[in-house]
Amino acid sequence: MWATNLKVVGVVLGTLALYTLIANKIPQVQSEVPQTLTLGANVTPEQLVAAGEKVFNGIGGCPTCHGLGTRAPNLLTDEKGEGPIGARCGKREPGKSCKQYLFESLDQPGAYVVKGYQPIMPVMTKQLSPQQIWAVIAFLESQGGTVDVTASDIPAEGGAGAPGVSPGPTGPGLAGGSTDPKVIIQAAGCLACHKLDGQGQVIAPDLTHVGSRRNAESIRKKILDPTSSIAKGYEKLAGIMPKTFGTMLNAAQLEALVQYLAAHK
Amino acid sequence: MSDVSLLVQAAADTTRAYGEFPLIGARAAVWIAAEVHLMFAAFVLGVPMFAVVTEAIGIFGGDERYDRLSKEFTRLLLVAYSATAIWGAILVFFLATLYPRFWAYLTAVFGPSMWAYAMLFFVESFTLYLYYYGWDRWKQGRAKLGHWTLGILLNVWGTIVMFIANSWLTYMMSPPRDITPTTDPATIKLWHAIANATWMPINVHRLIANVVFGGAIVGAYASYRFLAARTAEERAHYDWMGYVGNFIAMSALIVLPFAGYWLGREIYQYDQSMGITMMGGFMSWLWVIQAFLIAVLFLTGNYYLWIGMGRIPGAERFRPYTKWLLVILVLGAIVWGTPHTMIADSKELAAMGGSHHPFLGALGVMSAKNTAVNLMILTTFLSFLLYRRANKRPVVPWARTGTLIQGAMFALAAGIVLFYGIRGYFVEAIVRIGFSVYQVLAVLGCILCVTVIDILMGRGAQSLGVIKWGQMPPRSQYALFILAVTFTWLMGLMGFARSGIRQYWHVWQVVQDTSKYAATPALGYASKMISVCVLIFLCLVSFVFWLGGLAEKSTFVASGGRGGGAQHVGH
Repeated sequence: MWATNLKVVGVVLGTLALYTLIANKIPQVQSEVPQTLTLGANVTPEQLVAAGEKVFNGIGGCPTCHGLGTRAPNLLTDEKGEGPIGARCGKREPGKSCKQYLFESLDQPGAYVVKGYQPIMPVMTKQLSPQQIWAVIAFLESQGGTVDVTASDIPAEGGAGAPGVSPGPTGPGLAGGSTDPKVIIQAAGCLACHKLDGQGQVIAPDLTHVGSRRNAESIRKKILDPTSSIAKGYEKLAGIMPKTFGTMLNAAQLEALVQYLAAHK
Repeated sequence: MSDVSLLVQAAADTTRAYGEFPLIGARAAVWIAAEVHLMFAAFVLGVPMFAVVTEAIGIFGGDERYDRLSKEFTRLLLVAYSATAIWGAILVFFLATLYPRFWAYLTAVFGPSMWAYAMLFFVESFTLYLYYYGWDRWKQGRAKLGHWTLGILLNVWGTIVMFIANSWLTYMMSPPRDITPTTDPATIKLWHAIANATWMPINVHRLIANVVFGGAIVGAYASYRFLAARTAEERAHYDWMGYVGNFIAMSALIVLPFAGYWLGREIYQYDQSMGITMMGGFMSWLWVIQAFLIAVLFLTGNYYLWIGMGRIPGAERFRPYTKWLLVILVLGAIVWGTPHTMIADSKELAAMGGSHHPFLGALGVMSAKNTAVNLMILTTFLSFLLYRRANKRPVVPWARTGTLIQGAMFALAAGIVLFYGIRGYFVEAIVRIGFSVYQVLAVLGCILCVTVIDILMGRGAQSLGVIKWGQMPPRSQYALFILAVTFTWLMGLMGFARSGIRQYWHVWQVVQDTSKYAATPALGYASKMISVCVLIFLCLVSFVFWLGGLAEKSTFVASGGRGGGAQHVGH
């Protein structure tokens, strides 16, 4: 009987040891807690690139999709003969510099979905700090291109800020504080999910006739607190809309946008 | 979550938010307590399910063997219940002392459900005692039906208890979107927190998994008793019991992946980044390990069936087919375990010569994997069918036609699986995902229709000889041990996946883990923890079974009665 007991113990321990061994032989990846990234006023491009690489491979989780080339374009290797992302970013959108294109891609991922891929990328400016965003941009530029991100691109606090744009005379806000609703809608990336006047995506409710469904107060509340009310049929998308417009828009912009949308009967 | 909220949380956490546990640390202590509790809980929830089913077969089929088997299952439950409660209490004490702030949050949200949980556990325990100790008293007529009803009630209470506990852990994964870090937990409506996005998929997934797990543990118990048996009759009984346990485990395992798909889909719908972390992020290698473990389960389960055919007169005619079944299973396992969507840095990509492996890239995609696993399920079902038919020769006039139809159904299902598998390479991802539904439906449809035909065709079938229960080589019993260990380890692994995708959050994007154990460990560390938990569980469950054996002799009855001992004929 002892022989049988020993055999049973041997089989059990052997099986456990095999599974543990295999799990320890594969590449070991630990999910780290995001660390605050502090970049001084004298930060060099090399420091930015090094910091960006860490964010790209770590907290950013970018290689999950962009390192494979199946879910999203591969950023580190050649894509359709155009080279890595640093080499091709400046050619992706006419009139946009590499830096602008990369920032907008991180801020409004739905705006530039590469043909053949799904619009699955989350809004990275919601997940990363401005320092982290700009460090990633520097790292991506370094992949076959020239790094032109500088400390002046990185806002001291608040939003990540679009490249080459400084806060307008009416205080901080999107698109330089412009009160043109169309400019605000473009800068806020609303059309990445919503359709308006025939433009944009149909992921979230169509805003073309939003004024007939909601009054100005309801629209204002919805922009400031997106979970305050969910349109029927879109319950599963609850929580997708950023909650940050209250801090991104100044009062004049918010009011201009609300009135513009409310007029869309 | 805003930076300000995070700062507020972090500042608040400096005042006695976390305790420390000597040597292994707080996280490891809670990990072990939770995992071992869960394993016992799965056992005491899974076993009553087929105890009730086997008792029903005994009552309505008039076969006393099943009644005795059901009682023996239930006897295993008695001490296991105490162990479940003890580990549950340890878990609560650990949470209250090592994660007091988080525990206070959970109790603020779920307090009333915790009272209901305790009360139901009490009711469930007494129902079990009535069920077991009333077995011989309520043995005949309507009293027996009343006894069976107690078994059903036992399952009802157990299922509700599990659903309540599931609501707590699923809330941690997928709290409703309107709950933010600033939401006062006392203001959250209880039902709103319970009915979160992943609650029902987890409920269904765990319900099925518990049956699988219970069957595997009972199979291992029977295999040990088989190896330790002193008489041929005893060996025959435990051979049969091991077969039934394995059959239940493998049957439920076939359905489990579909519940897993549903859970995965809900996770993606709730939060895409969470889904990506799970399937393609730092956890991507976990699925390769999972594929390996499931390949072990399929191969070992089939191996046990094929060896079992050695004790069935008439099975010789099917033996030449087993090598081809083995070929399909091995090829399927290789394809299923092929890595594809791995995190790779620029150096690794350069070494690979691109974003995909030049050859394996084509096999590592979902089209190939879905095709492989569906063919493995079909193959396992065919193994079981051959086993079932081994000592029977159908006598119904349409037997030949029936067999041809069954063959055609297998061919059709395999054809559909292959067609959509190949077609998947030529369509967009969004279309390809939909193909898996057709593949699954083809396989399930085949299993259902072929089984119905087989049952009808088996009516009055000519017997080619009785199954020689007990005449199994010892290696077959070690296969049952491997199955039990693998099922248990797999349960620990999937638990790590489910819990790990929250990463540094106690409650996803609501309550942050600011302890020194906030980082989610790599698979190597997790595998050591899982192995320790499995070892603790197996040692304790062996002790529990030994205690059960001390308290009462086996319900095994020597041959002489109807269908007793070595005279077992049916499956």
